[in-house]
Amino acid sequence: MMNESWRKDGPAVAARAVTKTYANGVRAVRGVHLEVPPGEIRAVVGENGAGKSTLMKLFYGLEQPSSGEILIGGQPRTLRGPASAIALGVGMVHQNFMLVPSFTIAQNVVLGVEPGRRGLVDPKAAVETTARLAAGAGLAVDPRARVDEVSVGMRQRAEILKALHRRAKVLILDEPTAVLTPQETEDLFAAVRRLRDGGMTVLFISHKLREVREISDRVSVMRAGSLVGTVTTADATERSLASMMVGRDLSLDVDRAPARPTGVTLRVRGLRYEAPVGRSLHGLDFDVAGGEIVGVAGIEGNGQSELAEILAGLRRPTAGTVHVGGIDTAGLDVAGHRRAGVGYVPEDRLRNGAALDGSIADNLVVDRHDRPPLARRGTLHPGAVRAHAERLIEEYAIRTPDPSVPVRALSGGNVQKVIVARELSAGPRLLIASQVTRGVDVGAMRFVYEQLVAARDAGAAVLLISADLTELLALSDRLLVLKDGRPVARFDDTTGLTEKRVGLYMLGVEQHEQDHLTAGLEDLGEAS
Amino acid sequence: MTLIEAEDRRQYRATRRRDLAVDLGMALATVLAALTIGFLVMLATGNDPVRAYEVMLTGPLERSFRVGRWLEDATTLTLLGLSVAIPFRARQLSLGAESQLYAGALAAAAVAVFLPLPAVAAVIVPMVAAAMAGAGMGLVPGSMKARLGANEIVATLMLNAIAVRVYDYLVNGPLKEPGSSAVHSKPIQRDSALTPLSDWFGIPMGRANVGLGLMLLTAVALWLLITRTPLGYRIRMTGANPDFAAYGGIKVPRIIEWSFVIGGAVAGLAGAHLVQGVYGRLEPGLAGSLAFEGIVVALLARNNPLVVVVAGLCYSYLRAGGDIMEQQTDVGTEIVVVIQAVIVLLVTAQAPPDLLKRRIARKQVGVR
Repeated sequence: MMNESWRKDGPAVAARAVTKTYANGVRAVRGVHLEVPPGEIRAVVGENGAGKSTLMKLFYGLEQPSSGEILIGGQPRTLRGPASAIALGVGMVHQNFMLVPSFTIAQNVVLGVEPGRRGLVDPKAAVETTARLAAGAGLAVDPRARVDEVSVGMRQRAEILKALHRRAKVLILDEPTAVLTPQETEDLFAAVRRLRDGGMTVLFISHKLREVREISDRVSVMRAGSLVGTVTTADATERSLASMMVGRDLSLDVDRAPARPTGVTLRVRGLRYEAPVGRSLHGLDFDVAGGEIVGVAGIEGNGQSELAEILAGLRRPTAGTVHVGGIDTAGLDVAGHRRAGVGYVPEDRLRNGAALDGSIADNLVVDRHDRPPLARRGTLHPGAVRAHAERLIEEYAIRTPDPSVPVRALSGGNVQKVIVARELSAGPRLLIASQVTRGVDVGAMRFVYEQLVAARDAGAAVLLISADLTELLALSDRLLVLKDGRPVARFDDTTGLTEKRVGLYMLGVEQHEQDHLTAGLEDLGEAS
Repeated sequence: MTLIEAEDRRQYRATRRRDLAVDLGMALATVLAALTIGFLVMLATGNDPVRAYEVMLTGPLERSFRVGRWLEDATTLTLLGLSVAIPFRARQLSLGAESQLYAGALAAAAVAVFLPLPAVAAVIVPMVAAAMAGAGMGLVPGSMKARLGANEIVATLMLNAIAVRVYDYLVNGPLKEPGSSAVHSKPIQRDSALTPLSDWFGIPMGRANVGLGLMLLTAVALWLLITRTPLGYRIRMTGANPDFAAYGGIKVPRIIEWSFVIGGAVAGLAGAHLVQGVYGRLEPGLAGSLAFEGIVVALLARNNPLVVVVAGLCYSYLRAGGDIMEQQTDVGTEIVVVIQAVIVLLVTAQAPPDLLKRRIARKQVGVR
């Protein structure tokens, strides 16, 4: 039965010369040797597309290796599916939780291994089991709450309990902190350490190097499908890990000369928007000059998405004016906005930033497919589309074997590079960049930062909307803060500004005077 | 380019070539599997499958007029397949080929029967009228979907019901040939007829006509439209991800309408082909079940216009062979329906070829 075939000595999980080639020819893992002893928290880091997720899928039986061996409990195993991995004591918590939303937490935890007799589930025992597991692991959950009514953090704890209920001896956590608040992250780490001290082996997948440094015992670094090396966490710095990940020395700071703003490029006056769903905007006045990056901070859902979509032409404002380079864009459609020189990197790139089943080449031309050099006299030239794609793939370092590869086959960072390549190669007058580095790895992140600064220096006005304050403070020349669809703060100089200080405005503890918010803006009366 | 990237590129290209080979092989295997099942069914029902297959598979080519029968049927069927392939490309599940075909047939007949025209115009004007009528018939559900958010499946099906009844009424009433006991319209003027292939080749080719060439031209034109024009690109992107298309500045509702209009025009041409090339007049129910088999043909061809031609020709060949088999043996055309159904089931199932590709990929890596 389960776990009995574990050997006392030897690694809890291991890979021997494992290679994985997907059916579409993408080789995700190349000859990886990895051993994780029992009772260790092992972080596996790497850029998106480095193969860490694939490697975990191999351990969990979601994928089978093309060659090489997977060892669990010290013995080579053939995992036909997650069921056989679970039977051997491997549990995995995915980025997208695998819970039944209409069930309670207790029901979810015991699902498949329910207590009770003769096919009947004993609901009381289920709740008790869950509560006992939760107390033992230090993972606070309400066993009787329905999953769709609890916080993301509690759902994640339920997922871990689910694995514990199945007597997992190896726990794989795939980017567990991406969805958590700082407080929840701390609690999770405490629980993980406690599990480790109880003998659990934990595989922790992340590309947040700060967290990796905090939680793990040792770190294995992957790059381009291969295992670059394993280091003891105490001996590693964020910088040394980042260099291993990208294969060259990498500074995490952004080099940025002071902005040299030219004339006003984006002028927003009295902008109002009545949202059918979501956040309404209540009177925004601001300018963005060419050659500067203006950051927009705020807790998510305070009107940033709506603002971005209005400026990109995807929504119509209810009142107010928007001018881009002197052109009134408030009444124009998307194509009109693009003609006026608006580029937009959307916050949810999988929803509308790309056609996943379309080729890279097709994805790069959506805004220019009807113009020379791609189209002449009503004819679209596939050769020109391909050449255009090859040029941008080279210029923006998009990792792909061919322009005809569907975007779906790319990693998150590479999808973002495709989008950034498209929007920046259009030479925008105004670039709206929304959550540009969400789910993007360090290498690609740095690349995108450099590109944004380069666009600024080339004279573009950049409106940078982000939930990541570190990013905003590193890149913005000026900063606006949005709360409840209203501007509440404006910092014309970001040097010396701290995350904590901006946070006070984001939370509404402090607020700038109206006079300060609109100081120096011309034509203020025109829209009100 | 680094060594790893070069290796990836080589491997990617090899995989693409291999996938193509697997797809072709699977298509062949599918037909063979379907024929095998038909074989077993016939055996089980006490028939002689060898003789039946011999008749079915060689019958359509044995006499020139049978070849004509096949090509005439294939022309209509392929046009109908093309007519739904275009909206399918925009991810619009249009089932409206039937209504568009009847609208086209009516328009073609109205011009070809009643309007005296000089020689060349007498052929072309009815076809243009048919295409426009079909396009108009397509625009109705297209606009309902694009502007009003109606479900296109329901809209097209309901419109079919209306169009078929109106057509029946007109053929049985106002357009019925006076003094004739049978129900059909007056014949079209001689100049409006599509030239039969018999006249060209000097051998009897039944009712097959130059509409065949027209169909081939239409397929090529649609393929060029899809792959080589901005409109085709917009249709593809609207189908791939409408949110992305809208984000990129494409007017998605307009593109949805265009896809219906283009499809409708092609279905209208199929109606013109039946009136001007096959029957020479309006007859009740002249499309039979072809409109729905057109959908099958489009699905088999994965909505690629050039492949639709191949699929249409093959599918019609089975239909023609089935008819001959029914005449010459004790086996009914039902067996052909069985074979077609098995082919459709196997082709619409994507999993087996993917499995095969994966297995090959695994084996290749293992060997290395």
